[in-house]
Amino acid sequence: MWPALQAEGVALFAISYDSVATLQAFADKHAITYPLLSDEGSHVIRRLGLVNERVQDDHAHYGIPGNPRHVGLPYPGVFALDEGGIITAKRFHESYRVRDTGVGIVARTLGQLGAIGGSSVTREDEVVRVRAWLDSPTYAFFQRLHLTVEISVAPGFHVYAQPAPAGFVPISVAVAPIEGVAIGDADWPAPQPVEVTGLEERFWVHEGTVRGALPLTFSAPPGAGDHLIHVTVNYQACSDSVCLAPVSLALGVPVREVALEGRELPGREVQRG
Amino acid sequence: MALPPRDFTRIGPNEGERFPDIRLPDQHGAAVDLHAVRGDRKALVVFHRSADW
Repeated sequence: MWPALQAEGVALFAISYDSVATLQAFADKHAITYPLLSDEGSHVIRRLGLVNERVQDDHAHYGIPGNPRHVGLPYPGVFALDEGGIITAKRFHESYRVRDTGVGIVARTLGQLGAIGGSSVTREDEVVRVRAWLDSPTYAFFQRLHLTVEISVAPGFHVYAQPAPAGFVPISVAVAPIEGVAIGDADWPAPQPVEVTGLEERFWVHEGTVRGALPLTFSAPPGAGDHLIHVTVNYQACSDSVCLAPVSLALGVPVREVALEGRELPGREVQRG
Repeated sequence: MALPPRDFTRIGPNEGERFPDIRLPDQHGAAVDLHAVRGDRKALVVFHRSADW
């Protein structure tokens, strides 16, 4: 992630209210070389208007005892600056359930900004876990594989199916085009209807674990090579009382080319898979 | 039922504004002037919860 940013000439700064000593230990443990800035006392976080004053209310709502560590806690998020220091984008997330580290936020935000895709096939926070996989790590000429995307939602939360109510983001999966690969539509199980008593409104949700699958047909001539399939998963998780910010995850699913039975790939060693 | 999403576009400085000047110590205790260190590079400025919990 960070080397990719460096290669693009993008500077990265991460700010939290931790002490220098805490940040030094964290940087050592995770071999972090970009600046981790210590806003002990949350003076900058306060001056910029980033304090999450609702975290304590939310915790009270869920019967979670107050915690002095929540004082001065910022909403987690990211500002993207241009060469002149002008803010070109900002993305903030709900704070109290999503335990993102700086790197996690950057990964998610870059997915949202469409700058650089992620490379993991599993993403997880306290409310939603997303996994994506192919039914085989290899493909051969004219084989059809299915890409499965699994969204698991914590008890009490749901994600929206299409059509979502106005202002909410339904689950959707998009696969970036690959030459010689035909990409079909994602197939999802039937959602559950939700009717709001007293309102003329009905919408559709998924709870628990939902899996969608879409077919990929590899029709390029043998020798097309290995691929990293870029998958974007959009969703928004809500409970009856709280909605988390919409999320757009970028996942990279690798797939390796193998020869047809008894054949060789052009210009390569024989592989069997 | 579900509350509407919180309006996260209204948190902090707005798009189109210059990011404020800030000066904070880094993990080595060295003072970092964000815009000075950034120079004329693009940047991502991440605010995150504690690294400690």
